Amino acid sequence: MNILVCLKQILDPEIPARDFRIDPVKREAERGTANLVTNIFCENALETALQFRERTSDATITVLCYGASTAEDSLRKALAMKADAAALVVNDGNQNPDPLTVARVLAAAIRKLGTFELIMVGREAGDWGAGQTGGLLAEELGLPCVSFVDRIESSDGKLRLKRQTDTGWELFEAELPVVVSITNDEHNVPRIPKVRDVMMSYRQPLTQWKLDDLDIASDEARAGNTYYEVAKLSIPLKETHCEFVTGDTLDERVEKLAKCIVEVTRAL
Amino acid sequence: MNDVVIGVFASGGFDKAAQGLVGAGRRLADSLGSRLHVVLLGSAALTVADDFARVVDTVIIVDQAEYEPETCLSALTRLCVELLPRAVLLANDTYSQEITPRLAHRLGGSAVGDGVEVHIDGEALCVSRQVYGGKAQAVIELKRKPAVVWLRARSFSPANPRATTGEIRQAVLDVPADTRTRIIERKREASGAARLEEARVIVSGGRGIGGSEPFEMELKPLADLMGAQMAASRAACDAGWVPPTWQVGQTGKKVTPDLYLAIAITGASQHMAGISEAKNIAAINTDPDAPIFKHCRFGIVEDYRKVVPLLREKLVALQK
Amino acid sequence: MNPAGPTRQIYWNISQIWVMYFLLLPTVAIGIYGVYLRFSSWRRGAPAARFDHPAARIKLVLKHAIAQRRTARNRYSGVFHQFISYGFVILTIATTVVALDADFGTAIMRGNFYLYFQSFTVDLFGALVLLGVAMAAARRYLKRPKKLVYTDEATLILVAIFVICLQGFLVEGWRIAATNDPWGAWSPFGNLIARASRPWMSVAELQWAHRGMWWFHLAVSFGFIAWLPYTKMMHVLTAPLNIYTANLGPLGASLKYIDFENTETFGVNSLNGFTWKDLLDLDACTECGRCTDVCPANAVGKELSPRDIILQLRDLKDLGFRNSDFGLQKEALPVMGQLSGVHDANRKDAAGGPSQSAIRNPQPAIIGAVPATSPAALWQCTTCAACMEACPVYIEQMPKIVDMRRYLVMEEADFPDSMQQAIMSLEKRGHPFSGTNATRLDWAEGLGVKQISETKDAEVLLWVGCGGALVERNQKVTRSTALLLEQAGVKFAIMGREEKCSGDPARRIGNEFLFETLAKENVENLNKYEVKKVITSCPHCFNTFKNEYPQYGGRFEVYHHSEYLARLVDEGKLKPLSQLKEKITFHDPCYLGRQNGVYDAPRQLVQISAAGKTVEMERSRAKSFCCGGGGGMSFIDEPASQRVNQERAREAIETGADVLAVGCPFCMTMMEDGINARKGERDIRVRDVAELLWEAAKPRGTDE
Repeated sequence: MNILVCLKQILDPEIPARDFRIDPVKREAERGTANLVTNIFCENALETALQFRERTSDATITVLCYGASTAEDSLRKALAMKADAAALVVNDGNQNPDPLTVARVLAAAIRKLGTFELIMVGREAGDWGAGQTGGLLAEELGLPCVSFVDRIESSDGKLRLKRQTDTGWELFEAELPVVVSITNDEHNVPRIPKVRDVMMSYRQPLTQWKLDDLDIASDEARAGNTYYEVAKLSIPLKETHCEFVTGDTLDERVEKLAKCIVEVTRAL
Repeated sequence: MNDVVIGVFASGGFDKAAQGLVGAGRRLADSLGSRLHVVLLGSAALTVADDFARVVDTVIIVDQAEYEPETCLSALTRLCVELLPRAVLLANDTYSQEITPRLAHRLGGSAVGDGVEVHIDGEALCVSRQVYGGKAQAVIELKRKPAVVWLRARSFSPANPRATTGEIRQAVLDVPADTRTRIIERKREASGAARLEEARVIVSGGRGIGGSEPFEMELKPLADLMGAQMAASRAACDAGWVPPTWQVGQTGKKVTPDLYLAIAITGASQHMAGISEAKNIAAINTDPDAPIFKHCRFGIVEDYRKVVPLLREKLVALQK
Repeated sequence: MNPAGPTRQIYWNISQIWVMYFLLLPTVAIGIYGVYLRFSSWRRGAPAARFDHPAARIKLVLKHAIAQRRTARNRYSGVFHQFISYGFVILTIATTVVALDADFGTAIMRGNFYLYFQSFTVDLFGALVLLGVAMAAARRYLKRPKKLVYTDEATLILVAIFVICLQGFLVEGWRIAATNDPWGAWSPFGNLIARASRPWMSVAELQWAHRGMWWFHLAVSFGFIAWLPYTKMMHVLTAPLNIYTANLGPLGASLKYIDFENTETFGVNSLNGFTWKDLLDLDACTECGRCTDVCPANAVGKELSPRDIILQLRDLKDLGFRNSDFGLQKEALPVMGQLSGVHDANRKDAAGGPSQSAIRNPQPAIIGAVPATSPAALWQCTTCAACMEACPVYIEQMPKIVDMRRYLVMEEADFPDSMQQAIMSLEKRGHPFSGTNATRLDWAEGLGVKQISETKDAEVLLWVGCGGALVERNQKVTRSTALLLEQAGVKFAIMGREEKCSGDPARRIGNEFLFETLAKENVENLNKYEVKKVITSCPHCFNTFKNEYPQYGGRFEVYHHSEYLARLVDEGKLKPLSQLKEKITFHDPCYLGRQNGVYDAPRQLVQISAAGKTVEMERSRAKSFCCGGGGGMSFIDEPASQRVNQERAREAIETGADVLAVGCPFCMTMMEDGINARKGERDIRVRDVAELLWEAAKPRGTDE
């Protein structure tokens, strides 16, 4: 089975809020002290794919990214985690393309890479959090889509997909090919690559394409804003003053805490 | 056509989410000077139709079968092709979230999600939403028509009932079932996690809880005393201590309680993104510099293991 | 037959002496073969450069193999060991004298030399050997210290030595009695035996007994010589050799570097992954147990035992060359018991084929092959190097633990979750404190400290370190240090946001690759700003900069903040204006004290700051007991009953001091936690030496 996993490289979303700055003119976050990391849900997807391959032992995993040239590091890390092949489409245009642009570029790259039975994405990215790539990619490729999946099993040439809902979960049976978006789960925490594999990953081949190499309207892709655009970006100022309960003993302090709680909830 | 359509998967009844959604739709339709239709899907559609009819122009019952994404998507698409709305609004449940971008694509429109505010700006429809894990606020301008948007429905105020009741009709759509995917098993958690978004009081635990036992042995009795629902941060869910349905945050539930008691939760922005609408936040945490305290009304710097048992005692005494 | 002048007839009463020479052949052959086996087992190891600076090495041998200074740290043991070892030296010389006289015709065993040396001195030392063995036996079997290894071999060795010397005296005594030796009194102990035997044994009986005992003595002695290289007695040869080839640098410079491009396996999981010096270490061990005795993890009940790591690896090594296939045989491991979960180099990889490491490394795995090298034990080490400091023969236990950690981390990515968090945080954010919301400049708020990118006239770089910047309690230490430097008029700057972790936690946890990456980046950065002098309040950064960065082109003058501040006091640039009245005790950080020899500077600061008494803990200076935070251990949750820091806290509290002075951010955290856990016992504050000095030196009326 040929599996394709899409990755996105983003600014580390876990820098302290105090260090987070935006450029209101460019309407994007400033790099600042943040490193570039692979989006966690994309890593969850890759980890799910790796575990699936371990169970079925008859699958190849290709990782694909549409991003700046720095995204090569994310792909190398995926190779170090033992993905089989990697491809990068270098974005030389709008560095925050809209979701449809991303889906079109990925779809074109996927068609160029070959046929895949299972295409996986993370449910959303930690920066813009649009959460549309999976659905739009499915539409571009004319495939069905199952979202918020956390478990994949093989079953008689089809897939059994367990996905999370707000009230519990649902088990899907899906024919191949299918697009799947992955959400986090206790079982798909991404593995740490072995140092040796990290070293080897930089010696493995990596396909690199420019937008012009793909069968799409590359100028429109470079503009990246025919679907939607960020009109305004701001950091909301929101500070409340926290009243820390005081007291000489723990007993006194917890007593005050209890009173605060009762005060707020008594209104119910 | 300038009408607004709201799509509802009716299993939730005419709850706060549905009401908020209708409110948003009504105000948008009014600003466009157009009509508001609601499309009901799901087995409960018939039972709630009347509630919707009081506040919208038309209630269209599409299908009463259990939800199947491919089939429902096709049905909604067919209907929207007929209605040609300016905007389609949905709520933030799982089905709405997954259908939104695909519906937009099929209609040649633009989608965006997690909107907390919607308005028309000239030709474009603009939606405000949190981005960067809750650290920033963006206004997204949707370029194509129709705009398909899923909203944080409970953040919107309901619409006033109208003088006239809307029309209810059944849609007859000839949509073949798409069996490329099908749901073979559904599980609804019995614990009442569905009500988390409706909960007025929430007791939530984070990475600092340290295991699944304390959730059961320490936090649950406290929640019961407070009449609260239980929730957790992503870290606790990823560790397997609690079910994923308890997760509150950017990619979890968005809650709007009167009191959110955060126990051993640092307060990373991705978590705060889920509780930004909480009226009061309180925290128990050993770290006085934890970001959660910047959003709290009150709090205590102490190990929860020392506080919670004592707190339960105090609450029992105060409740007498 | 008494020839003229003091002497004795060699081989009196003994005939067929050719038998002795004949038996010498197999004895020597077996003995040499034993030595050869050991030697060839070392040669299987990787190269190591340990023959430079011969003068220094010889000095080390004189001090520790000859004078046995470390052995003598335990007075009682030192004494009996010297009795036995020096006794054997004298006895060997005596035997050589006999051989020179008997076989080479050198008339040396005559006259005053015969009387004073060959008779009296030899007798005295022979008796000392007996006394030494008795003392050793008393300790081993009456006192029963836990750190000793109780094997049949150990008992047999003591018995053999005792018997040999006793036999010697019997032979001597019966000869003296039977020949009425006029010089007999010059051999006082032999003479005693002669006097005791004469009354009830006839000359014929004496001759018969003497002859029998002589041959018996020969059998046992030859047996002992042949047997020696196969037992821990081998340390007679291997210990001096091990001391000669010791690491001449400070303990902080004990870890090896890896040439990543040209190394087959990262870290060690097989015997030939070690260097020949590592393997020599295994054979130099005398089973004294002092390393385990001082190990802080072992002291609080954890399973880590440096002694057992060495001895069980040694046993694995011996198995290896007895079984030429290198396969391990269960039946042949009586001492170690069952094979625990072997960290098998033959493990399968994700796709079911043999793992890459198995293909490259077809040797039996050593991690987990024996109880002492189980991963659980390996992850308990704080890398404090107390084991190395205690070892009388300079065995390097801790680097072997780190070598095995390297394998687990870099080849298998198999290490504790909390350490994984620290590593991931290091990779992503350049510091190990996953989840912190502090930033590198928080501590400097309001201080007007310059960043090195903004200023050209800084004389010295204040390297803050991750602990000093991101851990709230330690930010106060950094502030105190900065304020003191400012007060003294020192022009200093900080790296600010450009500062990245020195890499020490990565290195100690075993991710040498990440360490190298961080080290190279930091060195490049510092060289870019032409930094020459570095001050840091963290001994781990201090050690890394001083001993490890030169490998990557970073040559800086590195000072611990206590050293630099002490110098400022000496130069009169800092003066205490008031003094604390409390009693203070100082906890030596392992990476500053034992591993780098800096003991006095922090004490100087304590003395200056305190008018009250200072008191030393019993385990101080080189013997300091680790706080438990090194080696990545501060990122681990230890079981409540096995906390190293609580044990040290107990010791600090028992001094009766009011203040525990520290000089390290890890020690600060661990000791505050340890003391808090023992709350109610005594009120003792933890303060860094810089904080104490600032309290004493700050201008009156300052809030801070």
